[in-house]
Amino acid sequence: MKPLNQKAERVQRAAAEDKMDEVRAMQTVTAGCATTFDPGWEVDPFGGVAALCQPMEADLYGCSDPCWWPAQVPDTMVNHQKWDENAPNGAKDWRNLSAGYPDDAET
Amino acid sequence: MRHFLTSAALVLTTALPAAAGDLLVTIAKPSNLYVFDAESRELKVDCDLGENIAPGVIAMSPDGSIAYALINRWQDVVGVNIETCEKVFEARQSKGDISRRSIASLAVSKDGSELYTVRNPVKLMQDRYEVMKPEFAVFDTDAGLQAEPKSVTPAPRRITVMGTDRKGAVYAAGHEIYRIDPATGEFEVAIANASWDRPTYSPPDVLAFWPIGSQNDEFMLMYTAAKFTDETQAELADFVWGYQSVDLTSGETKIADFASLEVLMFSGVRSATDPKYLYGVYTQLSKHDVESAELIKRVDLPHTYYVINVSSDGSEIYVAGTNEDIGIYDSETLERIGEIIVPSGGDMSTSTLQVVPQG
Repeated sequence: MKPLNQKAERVQRAAAEDKMDEVRAMQTVTAGCATTFDPGWEVDPFGGVAALCQPMEADLYGCSDPCWWPAQVPDTMVNHQKWDENAPNGAKDWRNLSAGYPDDAET
Repeated sequence: MRHFLTSAALVLTTALPAAAGDLLVTIAKPSNLYVFDAESRELKVDCDLGENIAPGVIAMSPDGSIAYALINRWQDVVGVNIETCEKVFEARQSKGDISRRSIASLAVSKDGSELYTVRNPVKLMQDRYEVMKPEFAVFDTDAGLQAEPKSVTPAPRRITVMGTDRKGAVYAAGHEIYRIDPATGEFEVAIANASWDRPTYSPPDVLAFWPIGSQNDEFMLMYTAAKFTDETQAELADFVWGYQSVDLTSGETKIADFASLEVLMFSGVRSATDPKYLYGVYTQLSKHDVESAELIKRVDLPHTYYVINVSSDGSEIYVAGTNEDIGIYDSETLERIGEIIVPSGGDMSTSTLQVVPQG
């Protein structure tokens, strides 16, 4: 088995160094973030989408505030802290949100 | 800044509760800490915290007068008098090139004298970040507005919510439920979780983000796990919901399954008036009997809510977090009997909803 990214390479190294106790697999499908651009998890624990947050916007800040959607929204914890400053209500103000670019980073 | 708002236009009420006499304390965007009268559904106090409120995790002082809140992108703890909005405690944890974030871990001792958090330091260097060892930090609550911890000791990784008991112990949820002696910083396993000895179960998944067990004097978390027909774990029997609880007076612990995994629940709570009932919330509100492992009732909600709490008399269930409304439900019928819209109209996101008994 060949690691495809740095994280997988570190897992392989942990196994070689007998440090697998420090590596924990996620137990269920909901524990993982989506890799698509659809906010939230791709599927719920039942393999569908009915148990995802309803509506999607209810989950926007619940996930972006803790940096839970790193692939889909700018990093609001460190680099793009003003991304949502004109959108306190995700469901009503989402049009005020925009894409983040490296040049916009505040740190 | 303190605002008294009397406008009924901000509060939508369809029925008033019979009892309660509680205050509801929560945080919403852009920067507000709100105190509502649960009985009248009216806003009592609006404190502008003046900065980013994420994640809005709140731990109340034992007398209910001070709301300690984790804010500023997990970094800082402020203590605010919920009657006057006066800031009485402030701990800025990041210093220089070291960022310190506490992932929802915040608790106050039962005598109100100490505040606890587990924080995760990271050294920010020019070309890389160096992840440092997590720290269990103890603050005196009277340390003022430039509070520094009076002790810092090593902690396990992945600690989230915390609670305290009446014997002086601190509890913390991580891969295990830990009991901590705050005088020494020593951790021990109170409830085995990732290492539980249940050979016919998978390891559990636990979402531990909302410190809300005070109404039943417990530190309670819910788990999901796969249950197999035997120890070979070859054949799946069920996916189950269970709860694990520490009694914050006696220190006794309990862990038990109570339902099949049919819907997601992000948080759950029990009332002291009838603790056999556990109420859980996400996109549905569910009422379970944990003694008989029976689902009593389940209703769909208008949208997803993350956090739940219960009135002191057990008659009302409050669901909050995510958007801008607190939904109020009858604990018997699970009928929606009222709601409170936060005046700023901002999302509560991951904020805690604390119920503070009065009188």
